[in-house]
Amino acid sequence: MSSSQGRRGSLPGAGRSGDGVLARVSSSISNSPVVYRGRRAASDAATVAKKLLWSTGRAAWIAGTTFLVLVVPLIIEMDREQQMNELEMQQASLLGAPPPSSVVGAVPSKRSICPLSAAVSR
Amino acid sequence: MGSSVSHAGAPPPSPAAAPTPPIPVGLAAALPPNPEVQGDAKGVSEKVDWLNLPCPVAFEEIQREALMSLKPELFEGLRFDFTKGINQTFALSHSVFMGSMEVPSQSSDIIKVPTAHYEFGANFLDPKMMLIGRILTDGRLNARVKCDLTDNLTLKINAQLTNEPHFSQGMFNFDYKGQDFRSQFQIGNNAFYGANYIQSVSPRLSLGSEVFWLGHQRKSGIGFAARYNTDKMVTTGQVASTGIVALSYVQKVSEKVSLASEFMYNHMTRDVTSSFGYDYILRQCRLRGKLDSNGVVAAFLEERLNMGVNLLLSAEVRRIDHSKKDYKFGFGMTVGE
Repeated sequence: MSSSQGRRGSLPGAGRSGDGVLARVSSSISNSPVVYRGRRAASDAATVAKKLLWSTGRAAWIAGTTFLVLVVPLIIEMDREQQMNELEMQQASLLGAPPPSSVVGAVPSKRSICPLSAAVSR
Repeated sequence: MGSSVSHAGAPPPSPAAAPTPPIPVGLAAALPPNPEVQGDAKGVSEKVDWLNLPCPVAFEEIQREALMSLKPELFEGLRFDFTKGINQTFALSHSVFMGSMEVPSQSSDIIKVPTAHYEFGANFLDPKMMLIGRILTDGRLNARVKCDLTDNLTLKINAQLTNEPHFSQGMFNFDYKGQDFRSQFQIGNNAFYGANYIQSVSPRLSLGSEVFWLGHQRKSGIGFAARYNTDKMVTTGQVASTGIVALSYVQKVSEKVSLASEFMYNHMTRDVTSSFGYDYILRQCRLRGKLDSNGVVAAFLEERLNMGVNLLLSAEVRRIDHSKKDYKFGFGMTVGE
């Protein structure tokens, strides 16, 4: 304690003799410009942080609701469309219908031509 | 811009009035009017046959593609529409609506009043003649007639009758369709006279103008419009002496997707609005979304559940700081054709 008092005692404006040691220390701390400035800075920072948090929250809310209204239905519907396309493809392959523009379609035609050309050559 | 704005505001072929299902209507209307004609004109030769230009789109429908994507019929509450065809040409429709209606008020906050009504309608559709009538339980009557007098001349009558005095409206339109132009003459009640003319100046560009005179209010106006369309995009611009500038651009990204944007400036109220929207036409549904510079986000989904059964979902969220705030959600069903 004595060491701290000695340190504080060296500060200007803290050397009143009538008060107790603790009171003198606390008043000197609370009156010092550094603490005042620090407290102000802290309160400013808190306000700014609060405002920032609030505005980010608001922005997030707006972005989120906009997303919910504009994009979520789109995603769901496109997914459904894709599922339906896949289902159709599966059904088509199960039923054995020749898929358009593939090698399977070309092969029978080639075969059908081959005997004809063979017959012609004979 | 009394007449032009009212034209622009009202979607010309009202989907509610037509008994066909909304998805095919949208599909047919969302496509450019005659892409194959333009494709042929381009494909056959680069030289333009200036005496054989295609017929332009009607003046009041100049922005129809943009309106299709950006102005879906958003509603709040429950809607149920049922259409029953009696025979090939005649159909009856029943429609129930329950929800809240906005009441116009002087203050900035919105007043909503719960309302419910039933609407009975009859449609007679014939290639030469179209008669549509609607009557509501609160006494409003709506009648539309479209009649082809000759091959080129069409008469349209629109009437709205209410039991409140001075709110009834009537309008006669005579449309003349030429080879590469269209003209229209309008007579309405309250001594409204209007005329417009639109001409194709190249295979893709058409220019039009309109004049109108409101006899009772002693107002008159003149407007000009231009429309440029290819098979992938449509651009329109409209200026009127009432101080309104409207520009729109629609890009067809693919067979299923089109994107639309619109810019609107009102010189009288110094109001600027721009909006952006998408329009997805998939096999089972049609989805339209819109984002507005006023902070309005809206989406409208028409989902086909079954043959002739469509589910409608509508959402509109309006958020502007310190003024109008409004959330509107609605769901509905349309049954039959």
